[in-house]
Amino acid sequence: MSFDAELDAKGLNCPLPILRAKKAIGALTSGQVLKIVATDPGSVKDFEAFCKQTGNELLSSAEAGGAFEFMIKKS
Amino acid sequence: MAKRLSAEERRATIITVAKRLFAHTGFHGVSIDDIVSEVGVSPAILYRHFESKEELYHAVLQEFSATRESYIEAVVADDIGFEQVLRGMTTVFVSSIMNHPDMLKMEMHSQLEDDSSASQEFFLNRWKSFTDYIEFSLNELQSQGKIKPINAQAAALMYQGIIREVLLLKCMQHSDRFKDTPIAILVDEIITLFMKIVEPLRK
Repeated sequence: MSFDAELDAKGLNCPLPILRAKKAIGALTSGQVLKIVATDPGSVKDFEAFCKQTGNELLSSAEAGGAFEFMIKKS
Repeated sequence: MAKRLSAEERRATIITVAKRLFAHTGFHGVSIDDIVSEVGVSPAILYRHFESKEELYHAVLQEFSATRESYIEAVVADDIGFEQVLRGMTTVFVSSIMNHPDMLKMEMHSQLEDDSSASQEFFLNRWKSFTDYIEFSLNELQSQGKIKPINAQAAALMYQGIIREVLLLKCMQHSDRFKDTPIAILVDEIITLFMKIVEPLRK
């Protein structure tokens, strides 16, 4: 899946990955995609809740090798 | 005749009672006998669920330390700054601890009893959200020239210390300090105290 910006939030506990993602999404234009990589297991639920509340679309959420990868499309 | 508890319910009951007792006097202050007499079962029943007091203690710790808060509500609003986010996160955390004061007491006991793996679990699941947020934000504010140089890591640890002390005093049965203070005022005091370190440094 292609993306327009990438955020490395590995090693950080929530809510910091959410706050950084919020900022990164703010710099995108509507329809662009942000890829986020995080290691906090709490980030899975948090990014779901974040997208629900902000209206941005969570295109995918996957786990690989102890890290969690999220693709979020700006609304 | 009273309904017999399923194995799962029995295990949960033992954990609930053990939680309260361990929080009150720590690992060494509680015996298996204390626990079984409170639960109202024989030691044999308890040993069917937990091989030893150590195993039971770690099951209790596991349940406590793995509890995590969601700070989404505190961070999702637009245009909020460092202080507001910290206030929101602190409110969530303080409210949660006040509903489960045993958690804080047990964490303190785990530190006093030098159980480093338990302390580490508590830190990762409960405190790291704060230290990460404070350290990152203060470093960012510094690099943007919005605050004068500050040791962000030390500030983050200090914040953890302030919350710990306030909560311990609030949750201790024999402390009058903060006893009747509502959560909102308590959080205000914590934030005001902490922002004194950061605020005067603002340009």
